[in-house]
Amino acid sequence: MKKKWLMLMFTLMLSMVLVLAACSDEGSDSEESDDDATDTEETDSDDSAAGESEAGENVLVVNNESEPTSLDPPIGNDQYSYDVLNNIGEGLTRLGADEAVPEPAMAEDWDVSEDGLTYTFNLREGITWTNGEPVTAQDFEFSWKRLADPDTASPAAQHSYWIAGAEEFNAGEADEEDVLVTAIDDQTLEVVLENPTEFFPSITAMPQLFPVHKETVEEDDNWAGSLDTIVTNGPFKMAEWDHDVRILLERNEDYWDAENVALDGVQYEMIDDSSTAYQLYEDGTLDTVAMPADMIETLIDSEDAFVAPRAGIEFQRFNVNEEPFHNKKIRQAFNYAIDSQIIVDRIIQGDENIAEGFVAYGFLTPDGEDFRDVADSHYPYDPETAQQLLEEGMAEEGYDELPTVTFSYNTSDQHSIVSQAIQEMILENLGIDIQLENSEWAVFMEAQQGLELQYSRSSFLGGYNDPINFLTNFTTDNPMNRTDFSNEEFDALINSSYEEDDANARFDLLLEAEALLMEEAPIVPLYFYNHTFLYKPEVNNIVRHPVGFVEFKYASLD
Amino acid sequence: MLKFIGKRFLWMIVTLWVIITVTFILMRFAPGSPLDIDDVGMSDQARENMMAHYNLDQPVILQYLNYLKNAITFDFGPSMVTRSREVSDMLASGFPASLQLGLVTLILAVISGIILGVLAALRHNKLIDYMTMFIAIIGISIPNFIQAMLFIQYISSQFDFFPTAQWGTWRHAILPALALASGPIAIIARMTRSNMLEVLTEDYIKTAKAKGLSNFQIVVKHALRNALLPVITILGVLVASIFTGSFVVERIFAIPGVGQYFVESITNRDYPMIMATTIIYSTIFIIMMFIVDVVYGIVDPRIQLHKKEE
Repeated sequence: MKKKWLMLMFTLMLSMVLVLAACSDEGSDSEESDDDATDTEETDSDDSAAGESEAGENVLVVNNESEPTSLDPPIGNDQYSYDVLNNIGEGLTRLGADEAVPEPAMAEDWDVSEDGLTYTFNLREGITWTNGEPVTAQDFEFSWKRLADPDTASPAAQHSYWIAGAEEFNAGEADEEDVLVTAIDDQTLEVVLENPTEFFPSITAMPQLFPVHKETVEEDDNWAGSLDTIVTNGPFKMAEWDHDVRILLERNEDYWDAENVALDGVQYEMIDDSSTAYQLYEDGTLDTVAMPADMIETLIDSEDAFVAPRAGIEFQRFNVNEEPFHNKKIRQAFNYAIDSQIIVDRIIQGDENIAEGFVAYGFLTPDGEDFRDVADSHYPYDPETAQQLLEEGMAEEGYDELPTVTFSYNTSDQHSIVSQAIQEMILENLGIDIQLENSEWAVFMEAQQGLELQYSRSSFLGGYNDPINFLTNFTTDNPMNRTDFSNEEFDALINSSYEEDDANARFDLLLEAEALLMEEAPIVPLYFYNHTFLYKPEVNNIVRHPVGFVEFKYASLD
Repeated sequence: MLKFIGKRFLWMIVTLWVIITVTFILMRFAPGSPLDIDDVGMSDQARENMMAHYNLDQPVILQYLNYLKNAITFDFGPSMVTRSREVSDMLASGFPASLQLGLVTLILAVISGIILGVLAALRHNKLIDYMTMFIAIIGISIPNFIQAMLFIQYISSQFDFFPTAQWGTWRHAILPALALASGPIAIIARMTRSNMLEVLTEDYIKTAKAKGLSNFQIVVKHALRNALLPVITILGVLVASIFTGSFVVERIFAIPGVGQYFVESITNRDYPMIMATTIIYSTIFIIMMFIVDVVYGIVDPRIQLHKKEE
């Protein structure tokens, strides 16, 4: 109610100010000074509200780019939200400082049943919410059921589907009681999973599965929207929140591991424009900043550069039921004809690894090797093979001339340059003159999801720490498929990998699935993403794993 | 006068209703949905649940009625993108910054525009005339976002007096206001100049001269007053666009104003926010047009708002 009045007031105020302004044109002194008075008053009040950022000595100042979508775990579901939430909240586990391996966090330890289906988490003693109440197993039970609850309408609901009964509950086909997560007592949480999922402790580190304080949430739907009502349980807590301007976190002294948190606080500025953010880094306002895309070439070699692999991939999708891409050999020909190394070296310039498969770097096999290193490399740049496959493919289809090929991408300077480079490569290596077409993101997305695009750009960012996260995208009904690719053998491999409780056997299935996916080639992988940041020399130990969100728990300032 | 205002008010309501309806139709015809903005591989079930949550699964006519109701009550509900915040809350917290920046810009634009225009007219075809018009042309031909970037690059990095970006003190407002005002300054200066030139040749100016009035009196009291009439017309339009924030300049200077919502709500298909921004902008615009009409009557008694009672 109050807000409505505020809005009305503003509109009225606007008109009044304007009337005043118009009147003072007529030259009455008293009115003019009236006008001035209101003006200065406003400026003053804003001064105190915005409160010039005077970060303390030991406060790390970072750029969050934008206001978080929501700090409510099942609602936020994007980087703007989870880069903050990851530092004010905590799940049963947390990815380690050095390796992306789940370590005990809210849970002290856990047991797994023999069949790999039942996990029993034992919560730590003395863990508390920022309101002083203990974090209990009941909170976790409530939170995970809430994630699956159709009434919550969480865009991240799929991350609850590991739990038996959650997918059915989310679809309204089962009741809340059918979701098999149970608080045995205040400190013991039992979860029965849909499949044996040996990487489940990695899943519990995801912000989507962070606990929420039951009473707070039940009292106020919008509890995560303001400083007064938000209750969290992580290494830092909210101290100041000036919407669209900044969030200030301070160390949570009641956090179980507070003695290992070095920073007094973290200040997130919200600066959308990357070159403005860079200027603020240069003038010392920010301690760390993402490299602006158009400056990476010069910044990547600077002493402040931090470059590390990120579990994400830039790739292209074919519609495998549309001519000419219903032919496997033609799809493979495109794969061979594109030189990703040139795109990385000349356009992207962030030292990215080219993608010789779909699963990004950073996922470890049970033997501790990187999945990508163990997996085969596919489609090295090879114009001759490309040409030959194209001819074979065209002969198979009886083409004298290839039907028109249109490549679609969402409007952006960088995508436009990359697309033109690819257009040139395909013309040179295959003699095909492809058309380029770009559209605004929302329009592009709808067309791609609706399988309206013949050949289009795409990207994928991994959410949790396992290769299945990438590979499951291309099962027949997956919403991320968007190629119309449907292969029974592939689906079977993915399904058996879900059911397999032996880690080595499971990874073999995943390797086989990736090889099959690449052989069938519904996609053209281009390159894997990197984190590309600048850190001031005094900044240490900011943790950025290939998956997950930034961690300031271990960070320090000299 | 009252009759005039009443009639105009009714028309304002009708205009608003048309705008709201057209916006609704355009919004729903535009491809893309607010649920796909973050491409996170949402499960089909999760999508359905979200559709239901936002009543997007209801028949369009029901959605339209609901939308009208929200518009009338000024209650737009939570944003579909920034899901933890109410649309009205977001706009209310962004308005002060945009309003302040807008006021500084407006004052800067009007004062310097008129001064430059008058100077140019008085020194017609002299160096000052050429210089002011040169400045005006630069102001209007270099887009404000380029000016903004140049200011950050070359002014704020050299002089500590000007903060690089962000919002807080009056010093933060100078550079963005300058970038925003340069276009309007140019428009106002050119308009004032050409009107002044016209007015200065009128007979009553000669009469005033003949009566021995001082140059200052002639210019301010007799010439300027008549020259400003057309300027008031464009002020109405300017004010509406200046006060609703500037997406680009606010973004470059990282100012937490409302400009971003006007643009991003559309790329994000954030339906409640699109609705709110459209209504606010059109309301301000319509009110401004109304004020301009009234001010006309005050500045120029020849323009009558209503027919004299017979």
